[in-house]
Amino acid sequence: MNKLTIGIADMKMAKGEGVLITYALGSCIGICLYDPFIRLGALVHIMLPLNMETNRTSPLKYADTGIRLTLSKMEQMGAKRARIVAKIAGGAKMFDVAGNGALGNIGQRNIDSVHHVLQQERIRLLKEDVGGSTARTLLFDVATGEGCIKIYGKAERFL
Amino acid sequence: MDLRKYEEMNSLQIDALREIGSIGTGNAATALSSMLGMEVRIPLPEVQILEFNAAVEKLGGFETIAAGIISDLRGEINGLMLALFQLDAINLLLSKMMGKKIHDYDELTEIENSAVIEIGNILISSFINALSGLSGVRISPSVPQLSIDMQGAIITVPMAAYGNQSDYIMLIGGSFLVEHKEVPCRLLLAPDMRSLNYLLHRLGILE
Repeated sequence: MNKLTIGIADMKMAKGEGVLITYALGSCIGICLYDPFIRLGALVHIMLPLNMETNRTSPLKYADTGIRLTLSKMEQMGAKRARIVAKIAGGAKMFDVAGNGALGNIGQRNIDSVHHVLQQERIRLLKEDVGGSTARTLLFDVATGEGCIKIYGKAERFL
Repeated sequence: MDLRKYEEMNSLQIDALREIGSIGTGNAATALSSMLGMEVRIPLPEVQILEFNAAVEKLGGFETIAAGIISDLRGEINGLMLALFQLDAINLLLSKMMGKKIHDYDELTEIENSAVIEIGNILISSFINALSGLSGVRISPSVPQLSIDMQGAIITVPMAAYGNQSDYIMLIGGSFLVEHKEVPCRLLLAPDMRSLNYLLHRLGILE
């Protein structure tokens, strides 16, 4: 089977068949966007909630610009906005540190931002596996629209 | 002129950080030697500025399980410092300190976890002391925290903290040499850009 690996601040699409994989999501979030009618799937790996860069060199690093750019690329490939659904995973807090220093809860802010942007873009969130304190590897099968989560020391979970 | 991104650092500036790193890891080697009761050497470390994905690959891939010890830096420098150990390094240290080896991280008891944190703490503090001593900049690292998980998720913690400023991270790599065995240890330093500029300015190497 055709496997595509998505890095940090990266996005890939597959149509008809193929598995999209992104490894070791910590506070980052993997967002699977899927049009079941034409079986077009995209997986984007974002790291931060909001794009405040002035020159916008890496839109896929951020929840807002990452999701919007992915949606427009999917539409160019024939997806219809009304059919696109989402599944998300990630947003963990890897270190248990008190206070709101540099280690503050970026994971939670990412979750909130992804929810907000999906709502704004009127994309239905089918399922999510977010928060907690463990890293997740996310696999998304474009043929079926099913996802799978792998966590160190635990059983696989469906998404 | 102030730098806007890590990747704008020139070779002189990187050399200065390497020199600081070498003094810091030298101090760490001395501290580890007395803790383990044997000679520990840390050869000259390398300092690299790497793109996020390249940094994780360089450290052995996203899904490799590792122990990360992180400390929040406050004072005149704000940033994060992360020490990363994989199983072989942990085993070497534990076998010397407690006469024990493990096959998986979940065998670590609470006291062994503390020992791992302490080793990370020694590395981080030695580096920070060298940095602070050479530049005259006041830095106070927080109590370190431990996470054992896929290292990709651990390494992205300092990246995400300052990810709105750069797509790169500073990697200070070295190896312990304990009884002629080489054990990799990695330190990641992520100062915010204002702190990095302040530091380079204090060292007198900001153009």
